[in-house]
Amino acid sequence: MHTPEISNFSLFLCSLLLIIPFIVSIIFKLGIIKSTLTSVVRMAVQLLLIGIFLKYLFQFNSPLVNILWLVIMIVVATFNVTRKIDLRLKTFLLPIFISFIVATFFVIFYFNIFILNLENVVDARFLIVIGGMLLGNSLRGDIIGIENFYRMIKRNENRYLYSLSLGATIMEALSPYFKESLVSALQPTIATMATMGIVFLPGMMTGQILGGVSPILAIKYQIAIMIAIYVSTTIAINLTILLTIRTCFNPYGLLRKETFQ
Amino acid sequence: MIKFENVEVKFNDNYLLKDLNFTIEKGDKFLIYGQSGIGKTTIFRLLLGFEFPQQGNIYFEEKTLDVNTIWDIRKRVAYVSQNLDIGSGSVSRIIQHAFSYKSNTHLTFSEERLRELLSFFRLKENILSEDFEKLSGGEKQRIAIIIAVLLRRDIFLLDEATSSLDIELKNKVIKHFIEKREWTVLAISHDTVWLSRPGLKVFNLDNNHAHSRNI
Repeated sequence: MHTPEISNFSLFLCSLLLIIPFIVSIIFKLGIIKSTLTSVVRMAVQLLLIGIFLKYLFQFNSPLVNILWLVIMIVVATFNVTRKIDLRLKTFLLPIFISFIVATFFVIFYFNIFILNLENVVDARFLIVIGGMLLGNSLRGDIIGIENFYRMIKRNENRYLYSLSLGATIMEALSPYFKESLVSALQPTIATMATMGIVFLPGMMTGQILGGVSPILAIKYQIAIMIAIYVSTTIAINLTILLTIRTCFNPYGLLRKETFQ
Repeated sequence: MIKFENVEVKFNDNYLLKDLNFTIEKGDKFLIYGQSGIGKTTIFRLLLGFEFPQQGNIYFEEKTLDVNTIWDIRKRVAYVSQNLDIGSGSVSRIIQHAFSYKSNTHLTFSEERLRELLSFFRLKENILSEDFEKLSGGEKQRIAIIIAVLLRRDIFLLDEATSSLDIELKNKVIKHFIEKREWTVLAISHDTVWLSRPGLKVFNLDNNHAHSRNI
């Protein structure tokens, strides 16, 4: 079993399918033809570039370059998180970066060494592809968790101050919000795991099956990757909160106003 | 025991508190009286380290209130805030939570004392299993007072702590706090029921405020 080739001509045939949404757009005056075209072209160019890039990366397969590339992916992910949240960029950039570095590298090395038994643990095919999956997914959890944490404390300011007045330490007073935001960060992954295979077939599994891998091996990969995502999200969100608490609260235990943008 | 020395707090360029000076001795029953919006609550927030003066000093037992002393001060005082959004879940959960903090674990929680206090403040025992957020203002206020008393602190900061109570209960609560000689009580109120009680040192913030309203 092998994956059938898609020739450039076939890709052109595929793009002909776009005529259907275009007709729909004309009939209902949706005005989305232009934006669809721009998006499709952007997608094609971006993927083409990354395709060429990955081709050489895989060919070259230098441990240093592979690790460096994963770090660059983490930097981009960090900027993505900090841009999406309502919190101050400067305060959160470094803690989020450190959290992703620790979470991603710990889980990816565990994965490559103990689960896949790779001879070359920094092999681009695994380090970059699996690292990217971990990153993309823990990113979402991290955004939800960190945003919830600081928003809840701001919203429940009176309750928080009341705990301090009762003699609670910062960590004691923060603990209810900490717990709640961890749960909110992990909940999406928990829910995805529970419905996996019923509602939809996961992308990675589909890809592997198309690539000729047996369904049984594909599901094993899928299970392993889901657990890895869950763990890396847990590590990332815990670290992000713990590392930001130090800078976001003053020595009196009060949330600094400049935490928010 | 507590001393405010030339304390000044500005809010958007206007003085909220200016030239604030007073001293409270151990065992004092000190009433801060005055209209709404003149910074009475700010005085408590300063004492708890939730706000900071731009000028002046605050002393607690001869020591300056600062980052080194504030955590101990918070363990010494019991604060009944005007804002009664103090927690969620059942009443007994909120009480247990207050006792779960490391600084309060030396206190042995006594069910019996809790029952006594509930009946003293005219609350039924089954209130313990009710959802705190669904209680009336007066009930919340009494629960907050009960927590303050259970924590066995010797300094009480009561911010409009009787505002939602009927006249009979108001008198009962005020009497309860005034009669304990060893307790130091700071109360904020604009309620004349407090003002009419004997044995209180009254600090009228209106007077302090009037001459210092503008810069």
